[in-house]
Amino acid sequence: MRIVGPDELVFGVDDPAACRSFLADYGLMEAPAPDGAHFFEALDGTGFTLRRRDDPALPAPLRTGSMLRLTVWGVEDQASLDAIEAELSRDRKVDKAADGTLRCQDDAGFEIAFRISTRRKLDLPAEMINSPGAKPGRPANVIGANQDAEARPRTLSHIVYFVPDMDKMANFYIDRLKFVVTDKFNNAGPFLRPQANWDHHCLFMIQTPEYMQGLEHVAFHMQGPTDLMLAGSRMVKKGYESFWGPGRHKFGSNWFWYFNSPLGTHIEYDADMDLHDDEWEARYADIQPETAQMFLFENVEKWTPGGPPPGKK
Amino acid sequence: MTLHQRRFETVVPDRPIGRLDDIADGHSRGFDPLGEGRDTMFVVRRGGSVFAYRNHCPHYDRARMAWKKDEFMNGDRSQIMCSAHGALFSIEDGACTQGPCLGLSLYPVAVELRDGEIWITEPYAPGFWRERSA
Ligand code: FES
Ligand SMILES: [Fe+2]
Repeated sequence: MRIVGPDELVFGVDDPAACRSFLADYGLMEAPAPDGAHFFEALDGTGFTLRRRDDPALPAPLRTGSMLRLTVWGVEDQASLDAIEAELSRDRKVDKAADGTLRCQDDAGFEIAFRISTRRKLDLPAEMINSPGAKPGRPANVIGANQDAEARPRTLSHIVYFVPDMDKMANFYIDRLKFVVTDKFNNAGPFLRPQANWDHHCLFMIQTPEYMQGLEHVAFHMQGPTDLMLAGSRMVKKGYESFWGPGRHKFGSNWFWYFNSPLGTHIEYDADMDLHDDEWEARYADIQPETAQMFLFENVEKWTPGGPPPGKK
Repeated sequence: MTLHQRRFETVVPDRPIGRLDDIADGHSRGFDPLGEGRDTMFVVRRGGSVFAYRNHCPHYDRARMAWKKDEFMNGDRSQIMCSAHGALFSIEDGACTQGPCLGLSLYPVAVELRDGEIWITEPYAPGFWRERSA
């Protein structure tokens, strides 16, 4: 089943103004949306739809009050969509909208949808670095430190759910939708990628009590570590609350920086995630600070070295 | 004794952390009583009353709760919200009413209003750095 990745997350929020300013400052761009909704997108058109929590256009909420109301997966083509419809219709009601979008619930009770992916194809440069012993990554006279770089999120990267029965949920994506396990935290959950995406993970889950079911975080890919640092420091400067990071994860290798948000979830910048094909053999580890990150920093205010200590001549 | 403990002692601060008038009615504000470089507590104002808690969500170790400087509340300001995973807490007693911390409560900070100023009345421990053995 050729699922490409998450195309869109739909939220029912209680402070739309706060959410809109947060997402704009995070770097997403507001794009046209239907009445009563706001859509914020990354460079490839993946992104978030916001509606008021009580908007009847939203799917029913989880009982936990999570603001996440729907996860929309993009698929490669109509054949994939048909295959998903046939597979899931075997044991659940699958609604089909006029535009062909399929809607149902997964085995954990999350509302999910599938549509032919609306992702725009990106043709953008990678972060270019110079490394002794290697051919220059940037030609002579091309500057690496650009304070004014746009540093916009490029694409929706991954979703991490809190879920009461991790195996039940994981097996749904693995058995029914043919997601692939890339690595696994034994005491948390598996990292999963859909078949049409080589990213180390588009989907991850953490086992929790029932009253916590919802979102742990969602992430967008940045150009590279530098854009991640730049975008994250801009957030800090504007007064947003850094939750974890910047650092670099072990499983997936991605750089990370997480921020609290008025959407009631962490929103992460990530960069330089590993890619895996079908040859890859999953690794298994227990989740703990040592396995979760290679290193971790805390942002502090900018500072520069100078001459003598203050007060001395 | 650890480095941070030498620098940030547990003390009853000898000056007010702020004024009631600094907080709009129904709003919240973060404070950093020991000058640690981070808001380690926050205060919610309801009319002439204040409710003060440590900026630690009971869900994760030392989790900071606002989504932006001074923003510790849900949309209609009826409850305190942790913007990490959306846990809601009663303003009056800090008890979690929804989300990851059900059954748990925020850690209160004993404060008192004197002439419109907000004073901490009990020893206040550093909040930002993790405890580390020497
Ligand atoms: S850290 Fe506060 S709800 Fe999870
Ligand atoms: Fe992540």
